[in-house]
Amino acid sequence: MTDLATAPLAPAAGDRDPLAHRARSRATAALTLNRIVGLAIGAVFAGPAGFVVWRTLRLGDELGDALGEVPGPLWRTIQLSVLVSATTAVLGTGLAWLTTRTDLPFRRFWRIALVLPLVLPSFVGAAAFIAGLTPGGVIFDAFEAVGLTPPRRFRGLGASWLVLSAFTYPYVLLPVSARLAGLHPSLEESGRLLGLSSTATFVRVTLPQLRSAIFGGGLLVFLYTLSEFGAVQLLGFDTLTRVIYATRQTNRALSFASASVLLVLAVGVVWLERSQRGRATPDDRTSTTAVRPVLLGWRRVPALAACFVVLGIGLIVPLLSLGAWARRGLTAGRVSLGDLLDPAINTATVSVIAAVLAVGVVLPIALATTRRPHRLSDVAAVSVVGGFAIPGLVIALALAVLTLNTPTFSRLYQTSALLVFAYVIHFGSQALASNEAAARAVPNALRESSRLLEPNRLRRLVRVDVPLMRPGLVAGGGLVMLSTLKELPATLLLSPIGFTTLSTEIWASYEEGFYAAAGLASLVLVALSAALTWFLVLRRSDVVGKR
Amino acid sequence: MTSGPDTRPPGTGGRAHAGPGAVVVLDGVTVTYHDDDDEDVVHAVQEATLQIRAGAITSLLGPSGCGKTSLLRAIAGLERPRAGTISIGGAVVSSVPPRGAGVWVHPERRSVGMVFQDGALFPHLTVAQNVSFGLRSSGRKLSRAQRAERVADMLALVDLTGFADRLPGTLSGGQQQRVALARSLAPQPSVLLLDEPFSALDAALRIQVRAEVARIVRDVGVTTIFVTHDQDEAFVLGDEVVVLRDGHVEQVGTPDAIYRHPNTPWIAGFVGEANFLRGTVDIASPHHADTPLGAVPITHPERVRAAADVDIAVAVDVLVRPEQIVIDRGTDDSHASGHVSAVEYYGHDVRYEVELDDGSVVAARTQVPDLLHDGQRVRLVFDGHPVEAWPVGPAD
Repeated sequence: MTDLATAPLAPAAGDRDPLAHRARSRATAALTLNRIVGLAIGAVFAGPAGFVVWRTLRLGDELGDALGEVPGPLWRTIQLSVLVSATTAVLGTGLAWLTTRTDLPFRRFWRIALVLPLVLPSFVGAAAFIAGLTPGGVIFDAFEAVGLTPPRRFRGLGASWLVLSAFTYPYVLLPVSARLAGLHPSLEESGRLLGLSSTATFVRVTLPQLRSAIFGGGLLVFLYTLSEFGAVQLLGFDTLTRVIYATRQTNRALSFASASVLLVLAVGVVWLERSQRGRATPDDRTSTTAVRPVLLGWRRVPALAACFVVLGIGLIVPLLSLGAWARRGLTAGRVSLGDLLDPAINTATVSVIAAVLAVGVVLPIALATTRRPHRLSDVAAVSVVGGFAIPGLVIALALAVLTLNTPTFSRLYQTSALLVFAYVIHFGSQALASNEAAARAVPNALRESSRLLEPNRLRRLVRVDVPLMRPGLVAGGGLVMLSTLKELPATLLLSPIGFTTLSTEIWASYEEGFYAAAGLASLVLVALSAALTWFLVLRRSDVVGKR
Repeated sequence: MTSGPDTRPPGTGGRAHAGPGAVVVLDGVTVTYHDDDDEDVVHAVQEATLQIRAGAITSLLGPSGCGKTSLLRAIAGLERPRAGTISIGGAVVSSVPPRGAGVWVHPERRSVGMVFQDGALFPHLTVAQNVSFGLRSSGRKLSRAQRAERVADMLALVDLTGFADRLPGTLSGGQQQRVALARSLAPQPSVLLLDEPFSALDAALRIQVRAEVARIVRDVGVTTIFVTHDQDEAFVLGDEVVVLRDGHVEQVGTPDAIYRHPNTPWIAGFVGEANFLRGTVDIASPHHADTPLGAVPITHPERVRAAADVDIAVAVDVLVRPEQIVIDRGTDDSHASGHVSAVEYYGHDVRYEVELDDGSVVAARTQVPDLLHDGQRVRLVFDGHPVEAWPVGPAD
């Protein structure tokens, strides 16, 4: 917004006008006010990560001992992340192709339904499966009903892989669907006319165009799995996050060493993905002609079955399982919705505040990177984006230790302000992408022409900039809100005493073996997330809308 | 037509290869569209029957939505016709029961090349990789050296030698279309299809690129079918022009035949500016019509006579092109006098609109030594070949 102020009002003021000189020199200076603000914000975002690394490096002799214990959990973390991202890459791409390019029955329904597993936090999903598999759970009963022995054990790598894949594949499905929908059919038609079969065309023409979408989605899944805490904790798979959580008070050296290793891993993967991006300029023409859907023929049956299985594992079975326990608790009078009112209000309040703050805080950076691109703004943007790569648990650990041990900040320890601060740093990147899109929604030509029609800068902002940017800002805020609703580890570590959210409520109930309460709270959380996802994200997305 | 034997690679098996310059025959081809819910059926092409001359350039001309692109896509195999038969070089590639035998040859086996409106170059491949794309498909046994040679030949043909390692994103629109042409010609298709390939280019570039494309496809001698909504383009490039309207083939002929002797008033208006002068034809002397410009010779008296029934005089609309009208400055003559109501100066000629004294407006394109001005009194005289006339009444 300060950007608007730096540009001279008169288009051709002439060289004799001293004001024009001043305006020009201000515009070309490296450190404009906007960029300084951007850099400051970027520094704050990088703070927690920097603190973790600094603390780890100061460990001295302890560091060597701590690092000796890291390889096991590190190997398990890498195993799980690679497995889950590979699985979701295949699953997400396949489902995207089925729902956008074929004559799959009810494909418009599937386009929406297959995104819905996103509303389930993975730790809730894991809890639902465990609860469903205990005697009295829906999965247990279903096995018994068909005369099979229910699996005794639902733990470890296999279980974690299944649960995380089932709830994260939409991160690949969404970008790949969008890419497929925008891909001009003449490319694939050219492939056919130049002698390739439809399968060969998919491999040699379509897939290279989807590459960046698949890699981008796969990266999100990788980072998500890397920083996953709740599900692996419940499923007893010893990854780095589990070590960090378990040793955060008893063995701080190990905790910080593990957090640093996790950081290096996350940054390394992001760097790897960036360097692997194709050198080709992406084909960003949008499709105008309708695509003839691929006729599946007999393959309709296995395709439909695949969609049903994915949706079953990712949404229906967990909801049934949670619902069964909740209903049992409600009819027995052991739980009531009234008890969840306070946590629900708390959850909604911190989420809304975090969303609004995140959108506001990254807006200067978004305006700087889109309107006057500069290296310094990019540095700030990378710092914000990096916040997503840093596991929430690491951010929370850094903030908890920092406030506890630093007299200046100690008053912040265990306040909701610190909690919201952690959310903003962790999820600010989600707002940044939408904010940048929002800023681009006001093209320069439009800003210039509105300047000629409406000289008052403030009124211009209200009449032109804000209306055009609003959808992007709202969507970005929606994403942050949704992520905050589902967040667990940072909330566990940083919540003020007596301050419960739906996530911590579910966690506590589950740890006490109180499945009915966990089930009911989960359903409330899912209902809240589902409503928000629909209103703020899906309704605006191109993927679901009629093409 | 030359067939360019020097550029033919060995081993083109696997595809129905009829050699460059195959004849394309369409018999009763109907193409329909469904919307997403398989509800509304739209007839894009209805019962099109056509023979496309081998080795020539044929323009499919029509307004947008007339079905010309659908027809092209049906020939390519990108649309499946609802009815009718298509054959390329004598081999049936698409035939629908009950009238046909139920034949369907996949697009990759038709030996058809196509250049799309947007070029559709593969953005992840270099220019050379794009051009060699069709040379690597199954069934072709070209060595690496043969492929490289062929790519070099094709790039030389389209005058883009030295661009081999560039990515499509770095090329201009005209260069991209030339690469697309090279890519589609590299596998030596029997038929080349062009789908409005110049529409994305700006006016000056467009004329240059289309002249170049015409030279190249004539050099190669491939049967070329070319879709456009631009009458200039259709006439300049086409040896033969097929006029389509609402999914129907309206007329097939040389550009000159279509311009001077259109089958219907609609075609007359679509392919150029047309004045329709109201006149009468006396059945006793049906070779000219009596119009405000005096007696105008007409070409198809039988068309007028057929409408005559019992009348001895038939009211007709007479097609007079603006360039068939001569403007005379004298104001003495009694008929066909009026005043200039609009002047459009083009340089090579001037277009005038003249409002006749009876209130009708006639357009004339002419070169007069001195420019006429608005409101000036003038007299109009017909001067040209015999023209078409249609009895008044039936629409179009």
